Amino acid sequence: MKQLRLLGVLVLGFLLVAVGLSSRALAAQAEKVITIAQYADAVSLDPQDTNDNASYSIEKPMIEGLIGFNEKMEQIPQLAERWDASPDARVYTFYLRKGVKFHDGTPFNAAAVKANFDRVRNPDNKLKRYTLYKIISQIDVINDSTVRFTLSEPFGAMIATFAHPAGGISSPTAVQKYGSDYGKNPVGTGPYKFTEWVPNDHITMVKNPDYWDKNNEAKVDKIIVKPVPEEGTRIAMLQKGDAQFINFVPYIQADVVKADRNLSLASTEAIYTFWVAMNTQKKPFNDVRVRQAMNYAIDKEAVIKAVLRGQGKPADSPLAPRVWGYTPVKTYPYDPAKAKALLAEAGYPNGFKTVLRGNVQTDQKDAMVAIQGQLQQVGVDAEILALPAAALTAERFKPLEENKMEMDLAGWSPSTGDADWGIRPLLTKENWPPTNFTVGFYTNPKVEESIKAALQTSDAAKRKAAYAEAQRVIMDDCPWIFLWVNNLLGGSRANVGGISLQPDAIGYYRSVYYK
Amino acid sequence: MLRYILRRLLYMTPILFGVSLVIFLILHLVPGDPARLVAGLDATQEDVKIVRSSLGLDRPLPVQYLSWLGNLLHGDLGRSARTHRPVTQELRLTFPATVELTLSATVVAVLIGVAAGTIAAVRRNSVFDYTSMVVALLGVCTPSFWLGLMLMLVFAVKLDLLPTTGRGGLENLVLPAVTLGAGAAAIIARVTRSSMLEVLGMDYIRTAHAKGLAARAVVLRHAVKNALIPVITVIGLEFGYLLAGAVVTETVFAYPGVGWLLVEAIGFRDYPVIQGALLLLALQFALVNLVVDILYAFVDPRISYG
Repeated sequence: MKQLRLLGVLVLGFLLVAVGLSSRALAAQAEKVITIAQYADAVSLDPQDTNDNASYSIEKPMIEGLIGFNEKMEQIPQLAERWDASPDARVYTFYLRKGVKFHDGTPFNAAAVKANFDRVRNPDNKLKRYTLYKIISQIDVINDSTVRFTLSEPFGAMIATFAHPAGGISSPTAVQKYGSDYGKNPVGTGPYKFTEWVPNDHITMVKNPDYWDKNNEAKVDKIIVKPVPEEGTRIAMLQKGDAQFINFVPYIQADVVKADRNLSLASTEAIYTFWVAMNTQKKPFNDVRVRQAMNYAIDKEAVIKAVLRGQGKPADSPLAPRVWGYTPVKTYPYDPAKAKALLAEAGYPNGFKTVLRGNVQTDQKDAMVAIQGQLQQVGVDAEILALPAAALTAERFKPLEENKMEMDLAGWSPSTGDADWGIRPLLTKENWPPTNFTVGFYTNPKVEESIKAALQTSDAAKRKAAYAEAQRVIMDDCPWIFLWVNNLLGGSRANVGGISLQPDAIGYYRSVYYK
Repeated sequence: MLRYILRRLLYMTPILFGVSLVIFLILHLVPGDPARLVAGLDATQEDVKIVRSSLGLDRPLPVQYLSWLGNLLHGDLGRSARTHRPVTQELRLTFPATVELTLSATVVAVLIGVAAGTIAAVRRNSVFDYTSMVVALLGVCTPSFWLGLMLMLVFAVKLDLLPTTGRGGLENLVLPAVTLGAGAAAIIARVTRSSMLEVLGMDYIRTAHAKGLAARAVVLRHAVKNALIPVITVIGLEFGYLLAGAVVTETVFAYPGVGWLLVEAIGFRDYPVIQGALLLLALQFALVNLVVDILYAFVDPRISYG
């Protein structure tokens, strides 16, 4: 028995030391610190070499663009006070804010803007966002606070492309100084300054006391972002107060956060739409009646309730309502009888067998199971193939001849917030795999013409009209089963405000404050 | 002894070479295009091409392997496809954390396992025996991500005794070490118990009792020492498995170690990081086995290496 007692004493001692150590941490709490638990670490902090939301979320409080987004994803002037575009959508002029300095003291001016975009559009620099800006053929410094971009061809969505998070402006001095290591030492103009990055542990930024906009300056002294991949762990951190905000809350945990009066759920309507692409080039989905039948066969409301715990609404266009250029078209009501009739008309009175591919993520798998069950009701036997992201991507980006895709559950958000990037990569022939994400191999000359027309002009009304036409045609053609527009969920401590997720799933951290 | 150790170290070279080749081949057989994953879903074909050439993935496979091997001989494991950080740096940052965690988990496992196993054997068929063996069975069966979250909810959230996540002081180590060590503790307890039972039935134990030694002395001085050989083997093996188990525990506790690094790298098919991390883990596994073999000689004087 003595051994057992010894063991007990050891364990107790271990615990006591540990407790003593943790209370020590409470002493220094004078400065206002916000800790954010985020689902992943940053990959790079160079906006021009970033293509993931985890990195953008951390870059945004430090690095600003010519044009920014507010938390609703409406374009707002940031480092540019105003701008204009030539009617043929080829020449864009920006009038810059004066007296702004980067965190390292370098003045922000037209030369700095030119240096930034010259860097990204140079293919030798091998930056991930090269193709986004390679359309720029010439950049002219008109004077210290005016800069003019000329494009190689008309591109009506260019303003939105400048507002894209990749358009963040870095200090040219810092870019020069750090070279290929700039992504680990970001220097911008934002309300917070970078201080430290310990990979897979934390990134720290501190208040920039010299921020140019006194109305929107930092309201806390320090923001620490910790990568926490496990969802349950993030919730535990929030409940304990080890984190003041978590990005993100999974749908199945939404009620847990809501029920806790120390916490509050920050729900944001996303610019994502989720859908099941059908291979429009192969039987049976090359028949529009079959694709319509699939849309009638799915009870979207029921799926939203089950999978998203009600945090979403049925998609009534290929675009989400918060995307610029969105037009509500229609939803296909749940009507299994009509679905069956359409299938019979198309020559499949007894349905058919097919394969439904998607991601292994919990909510995606849940959605596939729900869709499978409802398709069964109209005689369609869909086998589920849930793949890890890497394997799924490999499958998706095969050219038509080798591509085994029949039905593919996916979601998309246009990170420019503009209709162009919400339709063109997904539903045009030039973007069939392996080029881009038109995973259903859809094409319709009417859609392609509308998109082209919209890109030839900078006139907002004309662009909107063209995209409206494209959306209507797509809804009739139904290359997808149109599912939902979801809400994105962040969780915060009840005494914290001004922080949420943007509609594009990038964290909106810069306005965070203690109530 | 020294010659034995040197010879064993020499044998490790072909093993590690084989490991590296197998890892390389498996990685390239598994579907998934690192260039596409790194470039992003919304990247154009052109972006993907740029990424592919910058990663050197457009070269033939043998060239890729040989150039990796050549760099390895110079101590260069390449750069991460995602973060562009040198792999050696990534490992230098994460490996100490994992060793720290694994060692503490082993300490937890050995303390609990050997003690519980010994007591259970000495008090065979008692309530303690049955309970500890049932608990041990549960310990083996409990998935560590569940155990980790439960411990976190109880000790960090409800009782507010320990921090939830992260690396830092001893207090950060308690919950992950217990989570990681629980399964190993259970196995060690069971092995210790059966090994002890075998030893306790031996003639010399009866002799020791007969010559009037105190029960405590019989168990501690005579029995435990002789029962330890199989236990050491298991501890060595478990230490290796703990490194693998650290993958889950590190993710749950957001503990910045090699396991978490590896999971992320696999998700993105980040070949240089996967190859480097696995090679390091293989090396460590081999070294631990060597240490175990050397320990045998210390515990059992009959074993000697020439």
